[in-house]
Amino acid sequence: MSEKLKQIISKQNKVDEDINHSEDIVQLVGFIIGDEEYAIPILAIQEIIKPFPWTRVPQVPKYIVGVFNMRGAVIPLIDLRLKFGLNPKKHNEDTRFIVMRHGDDVAGFVIDRLTMAIRIKKSRIGPAPETVNGDDTLIDGVGKQEDKIITILKVNKLLERDF
Amino acid sequence: MDEFQEILQDFLVESFELVEQLDQDLVELENNPQDLELLNRIFRVAHTVKGASSFLNFDVLTYLTHHMEDVLNKARHGDLIIDADIMDVILESIDLMKALLVIIRDSSSDGGVDVSACVSRLDKCTGGSGKTEPPVAQEAPVVEKIEVKESAEDDEIDYENMDENELEAEIERLLQQRQEEDRVKREAKSSSTEDQTEDDTQDDADEPLVPISKAPVAVTPSPRPASIDYDSDSSDDAKAAAPTKKASTVEQTIRVDVKRLDHLMNLIGELVLAKNRLIKINDDVEERYEGEGFLEELNQVVSIVSLVTTDLQIAVMKTRMLPIGKVFNKFPRMIRDLSRELNKKIELEIFGEDTELDKSIVEEVGDPLVHIIRNSCDHGIETPDVRAGQGKSETGTIKLKAYNEGNQIVIQIDDDGKGLDAGLLKSKSLEKGVITRKEAENMSDKEAFTLIFKPGFSMAAKVTNVSGRGVGMDVVKTNIEKLNGIIDIDSELGVGTSIKLKIPLTLAIIQALLVGVQEEHYAIPLASVLETVRISTDEVYTVEGRSVMRLREDVLPLVHIGDIFEVERILDSSEYAYVVVLGLGTSKLGLIVDTLVGQEEIVIKSLGEFLKGIEGIAGATIRGDGGVTLIVDVVAIMDMAKHVKTSAIADSNSDSALLMREKTKASDYTVMIVDDSKTDRMIMRKSLEPLGVTLVEAGDGQEALGILKQGSHNFDAMLIDIEMPRMDGYTLATEIKKYNRYKNLPLIAVTSRTGKSDRMRGVESGMIEYITKPYSADYLSSVVQRNINFRSEFL
Repeated sequence: MSEKLKQIISKQNKVDEDINHSEDIVQLVGFIIGDEEYAIPILAIQEIIKPFPWTRVPQVPKYIVGVFNMRGAVIPLIDLRLKFGLNPKKHNEDTRFIVMRHGDDVAGFVIDRLTMAIRIKKSRIGPAPETVNGDDTLIDGVGKQEDKIITILKVNKLLERDF
Repeated sequence: MDEFQEILQDFLVESFELVEQLDQDLVELENNPQDLELLNRIFRVAHTVKGASSFLNFDVLTYLTHHMEDVLNKARHGDLIIDADIMDVILESIDLMKALLVIIRDSSSDGGVDVSACVSRLDKCTGGSGKTEPPVAQEAPVVEKIEVKESAEDDEIDYENMDENELEAEIERLLQQRQEEDRVKREAKSSSTEDQTEDDTQDDADEPLVPISKAPVAVTPSPRPASIDYDSDSSDDAKAAAPTKKASTVEQTIRVDVKRLDHLMNLIGELVLAKNRLIKINDDVEERYEGEGFLEELNQVVSIVSLVTTDLQIAVMKTRMLPIGKVFNKFPRMIRDLSRELNKKIELEIFGEDTELDKSIVEEVGDPLVHIIRNSCDHGIETPDVRAGQGKSETGTIKLKAYNEGNQIVIQIDDDGKGLDAGLLKSKSLEKGVITRKEAENMSDKEAFTLIFKPGFSMAAKVTNVSGRGVGMDVVKTNIEKLNGIIDIDSELGVGTSIKLKIPLTLAIIQALLVGVQEEHYAIPLASVLETVRISTDEVYTVEGRSVMRLREDVLPLVHIGDIFEVERILDSSEYAYVVVLGLGTSKLGLIVDTLVGQEEIVIKSLGEFLKGIEGIAGATIRGDGGVTLIVDVVAIMDMAKHVKTSAIADSNSDSALLMREKTKASDYTVMIVDDSKTDRMIMRKSLEPLGVTLVEAGDGQEALGILKQGSHNFDAMLIDIEMPRMDGYTLATEIKKYNRYKNLPLIAVTSRTGKSDRMRGVESGMIEYITKPYSADYLSSVVQRNINFRSEFL
C-alpha cells in the first residue's frame, strides 16, 4: 500500500514541478463588480468572507463604508462598486468581502460576486491599455483568456489611501 | 557579530543608566564638594565607562573618560576642590560622553566628535596651570594616580597606554597562551575517559573563537587581528560575570525586551475584550433562563474570570511602569545650567520621583516638562535683586511633584515667581492676533492663563536661547493631549504659578462612556466626562445661531454628536435628550446624545494606516458583541464643535418630501402586506391587485421592519395583521412610528380581534384604520384607496 502511496505522491510532485518549470504561472482570483470581471493575485488575498456587520466611519469618502472586526483587528471596508463610480447595490447572496494584504496594509473590499481561481501564464498578461497608463491607474495588466479578458488590479494601489 | 552586538548593547544600556545618575550626582556634588561617597560614585562611573569602552575599541570615548577620571580621582583624594568652573568643564565632558554614546548607539563607532578641546581643559584642572588647584598637589597626585590605577584596575587599562604594536604583540602572546592551554586540555581529555560535563565546558571555551573572530571585521572595517575581540571577550566574561551575579541577588530584576511587554499587553487587551463579551453573554443567559440552578455556577465562573482578568491587566500594566524619576533626573542639571545662563538663583525641589507610570507615557512627558520648567525659569522666577526688592528670598524655588490621583497621575510644577498677569496675557494675545477682542472680553482669568499654550504666543520681549519663540508651550499642550491628558494652570500675580498635568496611567485600556445616536454607538473616554444630564428639548436655547443650555450657573455650549459625525436622522428624537458634559482643562462642551448606554472598559485599537487622522475619532474598540465602536477624540470634538452647523432639531420635511413623489401610474403606489398566514396574504393580494398597485409581502413584524429599513421602496400604506410570531402588529406599529420618514405612513390593522381594548391598543400604537376579518375585497380596496390618495383616473 505504501508503495502505491509513494507512487501517487511522486506523481503529484512531478505534476507540480512540471507546472513550475514549464513557465511562470500567475494564480489569480476573479470577481465581478458591475458588469466587469476583475482579478487580483491569489497571494494578496488574506481571506474571503461572507458579509457581516460593520461600523460606519464619519468624514470619509462614500466608498469607504466603514470598519469591521476581523478576529480582533479593526479593518477598513471599501465598496469597490462605489470606488469605481457605480451605483450602490444591496448586498445579496453572492456578495463577498475580500480581505487583501500588501505589506502591513490590510483592507476588506466589497465585491458583487466571485468567479473563480484562474491560472494564467505570465506571457498571456498584457500591459494596461495606453489610455489608462500612468502611476495613478489601479490596473496592473490585462489577462487574456480564451473567451474573455480580465482586468488585473494593483493590490498596493487599492490599499493606498487616496483622500 | 551577534555576540559583539550583545556586548555592545549591554554596554550602552549600562552606560546610559550610569550617565543619567551621574548628572544628578554632579549637581549635588557642587553643593557638597566634600562628600566622598558621592565623589567615589562619580569616579566609578567614569571608570566603568572607560574600562568598557576600551574593551570595545572606542578610542575617543576612552580618551575622554580617561581624563575625566584623572580629574575626579584628584578630587577624590582631596587634591582638588571642585568649584563651579571645574564643574562646568566636567559637565561639558559628560555632555560629550553622552553625545559619544548616542553616536555609538546609532553607528557602532565613536567618530565625529571632537573632544580635544574639552580634554585639554580637563587637563588644565589637573595640571599645574589650573588656577584653583593648590600648588602642593602638583607632584603627588600623579604618582598616587598611577598607584590607584594599578591597584584598582585590571590589566586592560594598561593596553590603553600601549601603542598599537605593543598591544598587538601582547594580544598575540595572550592568544598563543590561551591556545596552548586549550590544546593541552584537549589532549588530556582525549587520552583519558572523562565525563560529559567537562566536555561541555570544553565546547564552550572553543565556541567563542569562531563567531567572535568575525566581529571586528563586520563592525569596524579596520584590518586588526581578530584576536583582539577574543581576548577582550574572555576577560570581559570573567569580569562581567561576577558583578551581574552580585547585582541579581541584590535587585532581583530581569531585563525584558519592551516588545515582549507590548505583546503581552496586546494579549491582555484581547482578553479584556473576551471578558466583556463573556459578561454580555452571561447577562443574556441570565435573562433567558432566570431562576435555573446552573446560573449561579456560571455567574461564579464569570465573575472569577473577570476578576482575574482585571488583576492580570493591572499586573501587566505594572511591569510596564517606570518611576517618573527617570524623567525628573535630568532637571537638576538643567536648572543649574539655566540659572547660570540667566543669572538667577533657582532651586529645584523634587517630590514623588518614585511615582510610576507607563513606559510609553514616561517617554512622552519628558519634552513637555522641559518646556514648562524652562518657561518657569525664564518667565516665572525673577532676578535676585527684583526678588529681594519684593521681600522674597533671593533664591527662587521650583517644585516638581508627582502623585497619583484616582487612575490618573498628576505632575505638578510650582514656582514662586512673579505669576501670570491675566490682563497682560490678553492684551499680548490681542496684539499678536491669537484671539479677538470679543473673546478677550469674555475670558475669565483662568481661561486667560491657558493662552500661554496657544501657538505663536510669547511673553518674552526678545527671543533668547531659553525661550521666546512661542513654540514650547504649544508643544506641551499637543503632547499632553496626545496622551489624553489635561493641563490645569493656576497663578497668582507676584506669588507664583502652578501647572498641573493630569495624565492617565496607561494608554492601551481605558474606561469609556458608551453613548448612542440613532443606531450608532460611540465611546467617550471617561476621563474627559465631567457629568451627564438629561434635559428636555425646551431647555435648549439658541444664542447667535448656536445651541446652549444653562447648567447651574454656567452657560454650556451644546452640539449634537450626530452633527459632528454626520449621522443620518432616521429615528425620531424623543422630547428628552442626554447631554454629556465634556471637560478639557477649562473649556467645557455639552455633547447631545440620544441614549446613554453605560460605562465599559475598552481597549484602544488603531484604525490603521488607511483611516488614520480622521477628525474627531481617536481610534476604535471591539465590543462584547464583536462589533466595532469608534472612540471619540474629545480634543478634536471641542474644536469641531465651533464649526459645526447646528441642526439640533432634525428637519423631517426633506424626508417626507421624498415620500410625496409625484405618482404617474398605478404601480407607483406601493403597499406592504404584513401577515404570518400565507392564505391571508393571498386574500389581501387578490383584493388589491385590480388596483394595479405594487405589493410587497412580509411574514412578520421583524421582516417588515427589515424591509422598511432597507429603504428600497417608498411605501404608501401598510396592512398589518396583529397576531404574528417574532413581532406582533402593535410592536411593529410602535417601531415604525419611531422613524421620522414613516411618521405619516398610514398603518391599517387587518385582524380578527374585535374587542374594544384591541382597537384602543391599535390606535395607541399608531394604526389609523381597523379592518376586522372577514372583510369584503371591495371594502379593503376602498380603505386602501382612501388612505393612499389613490387617483381614480388610474383605474
